[in-house]
Amino acid sequence: MARLRITGLYKSYDSVQAVRGVDLDIPEGEFAVLVGPSGCGKSTMLRTIAGLEEPDAGTIEIDGEIVNDLPPRSRDVAMVFQNYALYPYMKVFDNIAFGLRARKFPAGEIKERVLAAAATLNISGLLDRLPRQLSGGERQRVAIGRAIVRDARLFLFDEPLSNLDAQLREEMRLEIKELHQRLGKTMIYVTHDQIEARTLADRVVLLNNGRIEQEGAPLDLFERPVNRFVAGFLGSPSMNFIPARLVAADESLAVTFEDGTALAVPAAAYERLAGRSGHDVIFGVRTEHISRARDGDTREGLAPLSATIDVVQPTGSRTYVTFRLSGTPVMAELRAHDVEHPGQRIELDVDMNRAILIDPETDLVL
Amino acid sequence: MTVSTKIAAGLFGKRVDAFTDRNFKYLLIAPAIFILLLIGIFPLINLVVASFQDITILGEDKSFQGLLNYKRLFSDARMWESLLHTVLFMAVALPIELLLGTVMALLLLEKMWGRQIFIALLIIPTVIAPIVAGATWRLMFDNRFGPINQVLGWFKGEPVNIVWIVNSSYVWAAILATEVWQWTPFMFLILLAGFSNVDRTQVEAAQIDGASNLRIFFKIVIPAIRPVLAIALLIRALDLFRLFDIVWALTRGGPGTMTETISTFTYVKGFEQFDTSYTSAVAIVVVVLLSIAVIFALRRVEIAR
Repeated sequence: MARLRITGLYKSYDSVQAVRGVDLDIPEGEFAVLVGPSGCGKSTMLRTIAGLEEPDAGTIEIDGEIVNDLPPRSRDVAMVFQNYALYPYMKVFDNIAFGLRARKFPAGEIKERVLAAAATLNISGLLDRLPRQLSGGERQRVAIGRAIVRDARLFLFDEPLSNLDAQLREEMRLEIKELHQRLGKTMIYVTHDQIEARTLADRVVLLNNGRIEQEGAPLDLFERPVNRFVAGFLGSPSMNFIPARLVAADESLAVTFEDGTALAVPAAAYERLAGRSGHDVIFGVRTEHISRARDGDTREGLAPLSATIDVVQPTGSRTYVTFRLSGTPVMAELRAHDVEHPGQRIELDVDMNRAILIDPETDLVL
Repeated sequence: MTVSTKIAAGLFGKRVDAFTDRNFKYLLIAPAIFILLLIGIFPLINLVVASFQDITILGEDKSFQGLLNYKRLFSDARMWESLLHTVLFMAVALPIELLLGTVMALLLLEKMWGRQIFIALLIIPTVIAPIVAGATWRLMFDNRFGPINQVLGWFKGEPVNIVWIVNSSYVWAAILATEVWQWTPFMFLILLAGFSNVDRTQVEAAQIDGASNLRIFFKIVIPAIRPVLAIALLIRALDLFRLFDIVWALTRGGPGTMTETISTFTYVKGFEQFDTSYTSAVAIVVVVLLSIAVIFALRRVEIAR
């Protein structure tokens, strides 16, 4: 159990600045996910926390104790590696027992703990095997077993599921979440997969270019992104971004596009946005917030839009369609039978309450 | 009909059955095997035959003499002593080279400035021909002009006059120094390659697991490079068993027969005394002993599984 605090962390390799000034405070027992595109510095941060890398500047505190100068073995953290990093010449039992033996636990307790960890992860039958005789999912379990057997105060996961196939990944994701709920340990989890991030995390820390773009509860980031990067990174398919201009017309505002299409801004947002009228903006809307117009739908803030469908991608329960709005391709997620075929002209509603406007100069959400 | 059947049919007429088809591959490699056997086995057979004759520089007699040479060999103290020298020398030199090579490889494992240059400089001794290395060290050890006595003299404060390659107390040390100087870099190079291929994340996982550096080295690194280590040791052991050039250049087996190895002994018998049949018998015994040792070693390190 531990609280992790990182202050002013910088780290560069040769000429590459991997982490550029990160402050982070993760309370005891929280599941924090560091997420971001490749090269955003998330793995470097994790390795710095583990003590495998030395920071150029900044402090790392675990339970109020600055651990910068402690070697990995003295930090009492456990880590699961992307390639599992199992010891190939040791049987599963010895792999899991390695850390306990290194820390001079009595033999009886080692056996007890290894068996308990194996039972937790459903690998009791594999203890006599060598890593090379295991499947990917089994190896992953052994790697997790090696981490939990020591009862470390901080758990670090470095993209642990990225080498597994889609189905196994979902299974293991669930198990890791369960593990966290049962152990109640502080866990730091690195991934580039935003679905993993959203489903596992108590707190998502979204990194880009070595800096934190935004952190908070997964839904917070999803619904209230602070900038274009966050808005575009979270959500699948990604949010649509269309260049537009904010235009005022007697006590109301509208988002107008180059081709003349206009979408009315809800009255609630008028005061917040009025000062921006006449400026260029980027209009952002998620695929699920565009729907087929239905008679009698009188929800506040729906803006009508006609579109000619270019591409139809049915997935079964939902159908993704692509159309052009003022020349920019836009994707919408409709109900299964809303569209029959490409080329069809249909009426759509855009949920303007959920759409965002971005300042094209600062990329910040208005 | 498969392609091989067609070719076989062309070679042997139309009557090609399943047997020929299945064994066509052996037919194809037969010429190569034949030539290899001719080159590899013929000299050996010739050696065996000669060892049962009594060919010398003087004798013309080519009749079979039974076990004459072998009887002589088993009572030849000089031959057994030279074999003992060889084995003892190997037992001392091999661990020293292994240890020094390991230390050097570990030191140069980390990225640092000038690493490439250091490595290149360090492997120069191994590149030099052993006979040249021997001659070089003979000059180094020279009691009057050699730098070694001179440097020792600086430390002692008075002129040192050790006759390295004649004095029986020092002669083995001189050979050992030369051998270690020349071949430690080989061990270093192979171990360096082995160490750099150890999976970095395994070492990191062990660090986080709380293992000491010593524990990581023996439990993670050594098992990982075991095959490389075994091959390096085997190659060096065989080389040491055949130790010739350095000894020849430095001492010619002297003083007396004190530093004679099995190779120099065989050379002296065969090409200075032209005791051809006896030399053949010695060679046969060495080949047999060595084969047993190598097979045992290979089993032990589980390379030839």
